[in-house]
Amino acid sequence: MQGKYRWPDGVRCVVTLTVDFDGPSHETGRQLAPLGVNSHGRYAGRRGVYRYLDLFEKHGIPGTFYVPGYDAECYPEVVKDIHRRGFEVGAHGYLHESWDVGADEEMLLRKSDKILTDLLGTRPLGWRSPSGRKSGVTVRVLKDLGYIYDSSDKDYDLPYVVRVDGKPVEGMMELPSSAFSLDDFPFYKYSMTPPSEVLAHWQQEFDTLYNENGYFMLMVHPRSGWGSGTPARARIMEDMIRYIKGHAGVRFFTVGGLARWCLDNRQHFD
Amino acid sequence: MSEKSKWPQGKTCAVVVTVNFDAESVDLHEAKPDNLYGKYSYGRYGMRAGVWRLLDVLKGQGTKATFFVPALDAENNRAAVEAILKDGHEIGARGYAFEDHSKLKDQQRATLERAHHALTKITGIAPVGWRAPFGLLTRDTLGQLADLGYLYDSSFQDDDYPYVVECAPGKRIVELPTFEALTDATFYNPRHSHVRLLKVWKEEFDAMYEAGHCVNLTLHPRGDYGSGRAARARAVDEFLNYVKRHPGVHFATCRELAQWWREAHPATEPVGANLAPFDAELARG
Repeated sequence: MQGKYRWPDGVRCVVTLTVDFDGPSHETGRQLAPLGVNSHGRYAGRRGVYRYLDLFEKHGIPGTFYVPGYDAECYPEVVKDIHRRGFEVGAHGYLHESWDVGADEEMLLRKSDKILTDLLGTRPLGWRSPSGRKSGVTVRVLKDLGYIYDSSDKDYDLPYVVRVDGKPVEGMMELPSSAFSLDDFPFYKYSMTPPSEVLAHWQQEFDTLYNENGYFMLMVHPRSGWGSGTPARARIMEDMIRYIKGHAGVRFFTVGGLARWCLDNRQHFD
Repeated sequence: MSEKSKWPQGKTCAVVVTVNFDAESVDLHEAKPDNLYGKYSYGRYGMRAGVWRLLDVLKGQGTKATFFVPALDAENNRAAVEAILKDGHEIGARGYAFEDHSKLKDQQRATLERAHHALTKITGIAPVGWRAPFGLLTRDTLGQLADLGYLYDSSFQDDDYPYVVECAPGKRIVELPTFEALTDATFYNPRHSHVRLLKVWKEEFDAMYEAGHCVNLTLHPRGDYGSGRAARARAVDEFLNYVKRHPGVHFATCRELAQWWREAHPATEPVGANLAPFDAELARG
């Protein structure tokens, strides 16, 4: 591994907590009516998002919410509340496209950008791919939209300046994530892991990254079903926040705030 | 996160125990009537063994549950239906032959009526509650149920509390949401152990109890993904013991809880709230 890493400002470890809204867009994108057993996304709009807003406010920490355009159309007031309460809203596809969008990619990126920008009166700073698919087109469009980061790639432990064809794209950071280990979905969809064990797993992830002076990005979903919107799973997020806060030298960021901080300290991030 | 109590007598949280009766009507989706053997006999296990075990557990606990019963399964397993009624449990509807109601189109009303009349004939009591087979329904379903005199549906997974839907002016139905993590099949379908199930259920209950929510436990008597086997019925018993060690738990049948909620919390929302973008998307194809 890369060994100890040095952050600016004497920070020892960087933490971003991210919430992927993933409301009824998930089911609608698969042509399923978001009713009955397919209503997990509605839970996000009715309960889950507010549970996380309250939680982050209670602990005085920033957070980033990635919102599919369709979910912003379904729950405009909820998305406005995220913004009004001072949290970051990032773009996350239109119908949470978890398939190859082919030639529609640019259109979808612009469509979702417009929905969020019109709704909030301010443009998102960044994007996270729904399902993690990207192409050679993505970064060019994000850059053209004025975004300063992407948070879709899974290829490193630390933020870095995006490169295309081997050349740095100045002003554009990549804030990588892991949908295998620092995401709620695998535990609650596949392994049905008790929340207390998910907490222990995330704490060990944090311990090892903290020891490397690293970067800890957690992804959760405020829906019911395989998400973390419901109380037992939101509770371990609170336990996690307390655990992280018990460590010296940690700084919490929104993802956009982290991207900006990295860009302001460009020499650290080649 | 605890809010002011929403339950009778200021109780801390509400618990409903529900059993999806789901016997041969489920297996008949994959097998012909001549083939209800071998891997297609788990539904029959529920009728020969599972449902009796669950009834014993409920009797031992003194807990009244709500059984959602496909009418075809009621017709074919009358002794079990009689035992459920004799023990004072509620019976709700669950399709005639466990149909996917999202695909019935203009046959949906006829299917709801057929199931309703068949179940009424067998039990002598018109059901007032319904749970969607496969969890699948359309936005018309709730209004159709209200037309037929139903008080509540229990098929969604989108809230911590019951809520009242206004299907048309003056036409209301209560929704009693369920939870994937409090459903036995969520663990047993992908072959997880009852040890794991019990650990998750206790953790889920702890947090819902602290928050004062409605706990909707969902069981099946089946031998495959249900709780009918002896070790699994014992896990249900242990879970109910755990719940009862907590003060202020309001146990009710779905019917009782829906009735109470409609009176105590009469605010309504429109059916299919927030579905306009869904319609637009479907129209686009």
